[in-house]
Amino acid sequence: MTKRLALLLLALAAAVPAGQARIEAELGTPTVQQQVLYLWSGGHVKRLFPGFESIAADLYWLRTVQYFGSERRFAREKRFDLLRPLIEITTDLDPRLEIAYRYGAIFLAEPAPEGAGRPREAAEVLEKGVRNNPRSWRLRQDLGFFYYLFLHDPDRASKVLLEAAELPGAAFWLRTMAADILQKGGEREAARKMWQQMYDQSEEGVLRENAKTRLLSLDSLDAADHLTAAVDTYARRFGHRPARLEELKAAGLWNGPIADAARVPFRYDVGTGRVTVSQSSPMWRPQ
Amino acid sequence: MSRLVAVAANTFRETVRERVLYNLVLFALVMTLSGLLLGQLSIRQDEKIIKDIGLAAMELFGTLIAVFIGTGLVSKEIERRSLFPLLAKPLSRGELFLGKFAGLAFTLLVNVAVMTAGLFLTLLATAGRADALLLAAIVPIYLGLLLVVAFAMLFSSLTSSTLAAVFTVGIAVAGRFTDMVRNLSEVAPAAPRWLGPALYAALPNFANFDLKDRVAYGDPVPATVLVWIAVYALAWIGIVLGLGLAAFRTRDFQ
Repeated sequence: MTKRLALLLLALAAAVPAGQARIEAELGTPTVQQQVLYLWSGGHVKRLFPGFESIAADLYWLRTVQYFGSERRFAREKRFDLLRPLIEITTDLDPRLEIAYRYGAIFLAEPAPEGAGRPREAAEVLEKGVRNNPRSWRLRQDLGFFYYLFLHDPDRASKVLLEAAELPGAAFWLRTMAADILQKGGEREAARKMWQQMYDQSEEGVLRENAKTRLLSLDSLDAADHLTAAVDTYARRFGHRPARLEELKAAGLWNGPIADAARVPFRYDVGTGRVTVSQSSPMWRPQ
Repeated sequence: MSRLVAVAANTFRETVRERVLYNLVLFALVMTLSGLLLGQLSIRQDEKIIKDIGLAAMELFGTLIAVFIGTGLVSKEIERRSLFPLLAKPLSRGELFLGKFAGLAFTLLVNVAVMTAGLFLTLLATAGRADALLLAAIVPIYLGLLLVVAFAMLFSSLTSSTLAAVFTVGIAVAGRFTDMVRNLSEVAPAAPRWLGPALYAALPNFANFDLKDRVAYGDPVPATVLVWIAVYALAWIGIVLGLGLAAFRTRDFQ
């Protein structure tokens, strides 16, 4: 009797995974439950916490940071769908929380997979910050930087930087930068100054790391340009382009590394002689 | 006067026996843990978050103590019939009522003082400085708590402790929606035009006691504002205690 029961249990135990496999084959494999946001309006959340809006804003900000971090690190698709609503709710609850605008904008603007790749929305977040904090020159400075760096609109960027320079306590170099970015040909130098400012103004953390990566990325672009120039010199001297970049070293035309700041080898197109940052490198950014 | 002080001292001992001080242990734990964790999680917002948590916890825990102990002060004495031996003593109903208010007010003062010390210590340990400006938010919070106690005692003189707690929470919550009450015609266009202003005048504006945001951002709070908040609070406390006293004096406990 016991033996029969044991056999029956074994047969049933084997049937469970087989049945599950058949069901999944028909209905699809279950996926991880997506993160859910139950309240989408800052106004509604505000009404739920009368007198405690600040602490609610802090909690939503913590959730924003955790959501961004977990999506960037662990999510397969990295969609960042809840990022903008979380930033909106946080800033509705505490319109003076500058950090939420500044970091939120970076989270939104950086191209995937580092960020959400939605620079237009990032600028909207900063525009809201400027509306809610008209005396903050830092938010206006960031808005100017974003117009220039992510939306490639130097006219608007220059105008906003000049507005920032008018505010009390504003950094002295804002006027010079506003003028510099309107000059053609100095785009990379202007970008470098902006990222350097973001690096200097931020403490250890995501913003500083991001600014550092951006600066290294610009250094890598410079190195690629210098390598392209060395290829030209090589071609003039030997009548043909080098087959590999290592030949530049042998010819005494290059003594640095032939890899970018992330130690990923540069991409070299023998046909055109152009050296570029490899798309597989963390230093690569869409131009 | 000495009888009033004796009732107050007895009420203080009684509330301490109700394990109110456990609240302080919880507060200390929350503050310490938040101080340790939030710096890692919040990206440069640890100091502001500690201030927000400290002030919000002070207000929230204080309100809970004010409501649940405040409503029990009178009505439990009535329900347990322990009021009768007290009234048989050479003690007026007014002295008993006001003495109980003063006792709970002192308990809340000790609570708020210990919480303030805890908040300052956490800030010293994490940010390296304690912000004296926080007192400009803590004093109004305490005044608001006294008003809640006054309402709790008024309602508990009129009805059971459960209903008194419900009514007191109702007043404390409605008093935080005064912006909506004042502009009632915009929120509910069908409501009579006089209703909004009438309710606005009849309800205490608890938003007046909320300077947490300003203080957390380091905005200065003019002394005149604090004086007017104190005047407003004391006027309301006087009115509500007066009504409670009248109800307590005239109530037939048989």
